[in-house]
Amino acid sequence: MLGLLASIGRGTARWLARLGALARFAFEALGSLAALPPGGRRTTARIFLNQLRFTALDAVGLIVLLSGILSFLVISSSIRQLGDVGATDLIGRLMVVIIARELGPILTALALVGRSGTAISAELATNTVLGEVRALEAIGIDPQHYLVLPRLFGCIVSAVILTVVFDVVAFLSGFLAVSNQGMSGGRYLGMVLGSLTTEDIALTVAKGLVFGIIVGVLPCFQGLSVRQGPTEIPQAVMRGTVGSIVGIFICAALFVLVGQA
Amino acid sequence: MTPLLEFEGIPLQRLRRRTLAGLAGWAASALPPEPPIESDNVTLTVQAHETVAVVGDEASGVDNLGGVAMGLDHSPLGTARVYGTEIASLERREQFAFRRRIGYLPAGDGLLHNLTLRDNIRLPLEFGNEVRPSEVAGRADVIVAQVRLGKAAGLRPAQANEEERRRAALARAIALDPELVIMEQPFDGLTDRVAAELLEVARGGELAQGGRRAVFITGQDIPVLLRPRVDRMLRIVQGRAVPVSHS
Repeated sequence: MLGLLASIGRGTARWLARLGALARFAFEALGSLAALPPGGRRTTARIFLNQLRFTALDAVGLIVLLSGILSFLVISSSIRQLGDVGATDLIGRLMVVIIARELGPILTALALVGRSGTAISAELATNTVLGEVRALEAIGIDPQHYLVLPRLFGCIVSAVILTVVFDVVAFLSGFLAVSNQGMSGGRYLGMVLGSLTTEDIALTVAKGLVFGIIVGVLPCFQGLSVRQGPTEIPQAVMRGTVGSIVGIFICAALFVLVGQA
Repeated sequence: MTPLLEFEGIPLQRLRRRTLAGLAGWAASALPPEPPIESDNVTLTVQAHETVAVVGDEASGVDNLGGVAMGLDHSPLGTARVYGTEIASLERREQFAFRRRIGYLPAGDGLLHNLTLRDNIRLPLEFGNEVRPSEVAGRADVIVAQVRLGKAAGLRPAQANEEERRRAALARAIALDPELVIMEQPFDGLTDRVAAELLEVARGGELAQGGRRAVFITGQDIPVLLRPRVDRMLRIVQGRAVPVSHS
């Protein structure tokens, strides 16, 4: 019995230690922005823009496709059901709350995890295994400045931009869906805009921001934690991906809880 | 006169490698306790203008010395000082600034694979506060010519051969014109002629007192042709540092 408790205790302590290390890593990475040497700013900005192109620009097509299909399906299916109970007016609120505020940030973040999170973990783990991270430290370049900061901020900015893109495309796709179902497009837009509050917009952007931090930090942390060799690279990618997905869902739940409180 | 590099009682074997995650605090808690050290400890100094080599087989732990000197690896015993300062004892940010004053050529070159060899050489120049942006390209061109990289400078490490990669790694190490260059296994897989050429570049030319730069080399051996260019050479035999004569 004592052995079992000790085992549970050890596991919990190890998990908490990792969580603490992750939090410290994230704060140190954000804090390292202030210590970025003037000469390194241009290089870091160049990598940031490159990351933005890969994470945001190259992902626009995927986000448009996901958002368009999801919104079309949800609106097409629900408009009939709502019509049966005489609640068609709720379509605007449904669009704003379910698609734009809840599913939009989550699906955007999941797409980013699949595209960029995996790439970041694999790249940084490979950098570590090949001795490139050590070499950077040796030539006086903080890996947080060169590797972590541009990727982290690239993910944060991309997540916010792509969440907005997701929501705009979802509204437009909903317009097509209701038109297809015989409802006036003008009435649909009026209901959506009437349901959209400043709080909804702020919450959506806040979610994009928080999910962007998760997608940026976790893969970087896992990629740089590799120590043994190339066999750890797929494990780092897996840990980074799974951790990010779990983190996104936990934070989404926390947003709801905090909102209700 | 303060030696440029000084090892005092550094054990050679089983040093713990530092990682970024380790610095974040996680690795330290995840690693098993440090095993006992079973070797003699190394004490030696490298003065200005000197070229010193410490060689030994792979199991001798000689390859750890460079990492300990740079504060990249942790030694449970002894101290390593560069320019009279123990890098490992500095704040993290100070460590990075301090290391820009030292040239370091790691084993396996450590070049970034997503950059060309020229961009690898530019990297410390761009991050070094002393160099203006307008000077970076010019300085990089001079160094590329100095190590005779030629057209290979436009290649990525995976496209270049071992000799070109080593030339680029040395060029990156001397980009900020350090007083001291630390080289790990710098000549493995190179011809004696190329090795001699690289050593001359690392020394940075000749002065009456010796090389313009001090050079500290670790590795399994030094090509016979180069030994006359090395002021002192020590071989690690069964945990003991034994002086090797050139004759």
